[in-house]
Amino acid sequence: MSAETVLEIRGLHKYFGPTHANKNINFTLKKGEIKGLIGENGSGKSTLLSQIAGIYKYDEGEMLLNGKPYAPANPLDANRAKIAMVTQELGVVDKLPVGINVFLGRLDQFAKNGVVNLKKLNQAAAQVFEKWNLPPVPLGALMTGMMIEQRKIVELARALSVEPDILLLDEITQSLSLNNRNNLYALIKRLKEMGKSVIVITHDIDEMLAISDSITVLRDGEVVGDVKTSETTAEQIRYMMVGRNISGDYYRADNKVDYQDEVVLKAENVTIPGEIEDVSFELHKGEILGFCGLSDSGIHSVGKAVFGLSKITSGSIRLVATGEEIKSAPDAVRRQMAYVPKDRDNEALMIHASIHHNCTLPSLDELKGSVGYLSPSKLKKLSDDVVANMSVKCTGIGQTMDALSGGNKQKVNLGRWLAKDLKVLVLDCPTRGVDVGVKSYIYGLMKKAKADGIATILISDELTEVLGMADRLVVMKDGRIIKTIRRDEEFTEHSVIEVMI
Amino acid sequence: MQQKSLSTKDTPGSKSELKAKLTFAGIFIVGVAVVFFIFNLLTHGNFLEWQNIKIILANMVYPSFMAWGMCFLFACGYNDMSWGGVVVLASFATGVFANMYGLVAGLIAGVLVGTVLVFINFCIFAYTKIPSWIASLSLAMIYEAIAVFLYRGKSTKALVEAPMAKELRIFGLLPWSLVVLAVGFVIIYFVYNRTIIGYNIRAIGGNANVSRALGVNVRKTLLWVGLICGLIIGITSFLQESYAGITTVKTGLASILLIFQPLAIALLADILQKKINIIIAVPVCAFLLYAVFNMMTLMHIPSGTLQEALLCLFIIVFAVVGQRGVKEVVK
Repeated sequence: MSAETVLEIRGLHKYFGPTHANKNINFTLKKGEIKGLIGENGSGKSTLLSQIAGIYKYDEGEMLLNGKPYAPANPLDANRAKIAMVTQELGVVDKLPVGINVFLGRLDQFAKNGVVNLKKLNQAAAQVFEKWNLPPVPLGALMTGMMIEQRKIVELARALSVEPDILLLDEITQSLSLNNRNNLYALIKRLKEMGKSVIVITHDIDEMLAISDSITVLRDGEVVGDVKTSETTAEQIRYMMVGRNISGDYYRADNKVDYQDEVVLKAENVTIPGEIEDVSFELHKGEILGFCGLSDSGIHSVGKAVFGLSKITSGSIRLVATGEEIKSAPDAVRRQMAYVPKDRDNEALMIHASIHHNCTLPSLDELKGSVGYLSPSKLKKLSDDVVANMSVKCTGIGQTMDALSGGNKQKVNLGRWLAKDLKVLVLDCPTRGVDVGVKSYIYGLMKKAKADGIATILISDELTEVLGMADRLVVMKDGRIIKTIRRDEEFTEHSVIEVMI
Repeated sequence: MQQKSLSTKDTPGSKSELKAKLTFAGIFIVGVAVVFFIFNLLTHGNFLEWQNIKIILANMVYPSFMAWGMCFLFACGYNDMSWGGVVVLASFATGVFANMYGLVAGLIAGVLVGTVLVFINFCIFAYTKIPSWIASLSLAMIYEAIAVFLYRGKSTKALVEAPMAKELRIFGLLPWSLVVLAVGFVIIYFVYNRTIIGYNIRAIGGNANVSRALGVNVRKTLLWVGLICGLIIGITSFLQESYAGITTVKTGLASILLIFQPLAIALLADILQKKINIIIAVPVCAFLLYAVFNMMTLMHIPSGTLQEALLCLFIIVFAVVGQRGVKEVVK
């Protein structure tokens, strides 16, 4: 172990029942190193970080922290060893204030005889936000009702509050909008300058190449590559991840606006107080209409509004052919619309129910017989078809959703809608938390939907994604549409960012 | 990542938060005053008579304590249907020991029985995987059976007794019952809002997995809930016995009826908690609830099913009004 090495992992194994989640992991992290950890969904990345962070205990092997054996019994143990993690799934406690969430589990440092000094705690929390230049979040407010981005920032503050020597970030960037993503990169750079080490999990290979010093690739729980970032390419990383070549050109190759003249859906002067204001647009048959913007731009609220999930105080969303107004989600489903929300675990899927139940739910109306009878064989066929068509990796349609990896969850989420005869598809960050292979697959599905004449709204925090797929791109800021750019105009990252800022 | 510096307006106790709370309190007080004025008109001026207000105040004390207990219970995400059975046994202990050894002995006996039984419940919740509502229904039947056993040899009709001597029932009377309420309020407010255990209880109810991952000992916290709720239920039993002077043994899960009114108070308080702290909301809601009951009695609406049906209607209207403007999580 060199003097520079802060963390060394030797022959580590982790089992979850019959699943061998991490196999003989060997891994080193140097002082001031930014290490990227990448792999397909279900390759064991989060499991590995969770063991370093004390969330799971490892079954075999050893970890050395600064040359000494390290086996954290719990996350507090890891915190005491100056290791902190921002997890992909766990999140925050809704019913508690932000300040308490920052120090939850460590409240005793602000307590005397069990009584918490809230003033002192909030001052300390404010100092964390100020020290690391985090966007302000009201410290006294309950987490309930806060946006996913604010929640991630509170989690980041919580991790930074332990003054970590090693910071573990599990897919945090995909929850952040472009501005806060850039700010996170600056924070990582600052940590590096301070001699701190960071391990970052992200599915965005370009992002990883831009911010990391070295990259470790996992496949099926094993380390299959450990390379210096300066000595590798995106193609090599993709190859190591999936064990085969994946074309980097999975976005649309054309530069033309390609949709039919028929307007399918029209939004006129839609306003949701505090979220979006006076939003109007038309969506054409076979079009992919992209929405992008910085945090609080309101892009995610547009998706909810179109699908009838938000209460619109003025304006309307109508299907042009029939003139019907979409006022609720059941309205939308009846009128052949589908919505894939950003937060699939909480808003899209019945996470503890089976794949079968999740697949069939949106199609029950179509599958029911004349007296409302649901034929088990028809339901089963639908689920089997979704699993087969989407290549969902599972033990069968009876498997519960929570046992699937992020990418396979998203395949079920998308597949159950695509099994229907759709007119409008609303996708909010459809590739959030999925690996490059699934990403490529989802883009393929979007291209097919486009060719089939489905009108798609694509909302994304990833500019490259909307630029790669959209015919027209709506740029939003502070809840309003600032500009709509066509694919055949100046359709570049630079020009869009100029508008966004 | 700095967009603007954190200001003190973001912290609790700040001027803007205080202003918002005062505005709500003002609107709420005016609203209640208007409702009470209408009640007074409907009851030909009887409702706002001081003697009548005293009846409402005396009625609300022990249900408020049980409702506070429920605040802790719901905060940690559990249910306990056996508290009616616990109150029967603890009230019985209060009456018997107070008569034999005096008021202090009655208090200690009631609190001890209440605490031990509720703590046992939470040990079962914490160490088994039985859903709490199922386990607590079984426990309620066991506690009812124990109560019947203690009355062994008596007929069903004789299962009502008045064991506590009248001179020992001072804490069931004003102003002492209100003094207990005030002291209880201060302590419970403090535990719920200012202690590590209070935050941990709310944390495991909010998200047990996150709490566990952040180092909160979920099982230990559950046992703390059992201890705190047990103490509160013990005091509830002492106050119930002091107020009513009798212990009615229930069978066939009828002890659950004892929970109903405190449950209504806790639910109303839960609705109000987006505006005011739930511990403060409990006595406020208890007063409102018993004011509604009282008004119905003054209007000669038959007590029992009809009053309870109207009460439920009141809760639904209150819930609908209270939930207005509640925002879901924006992802």
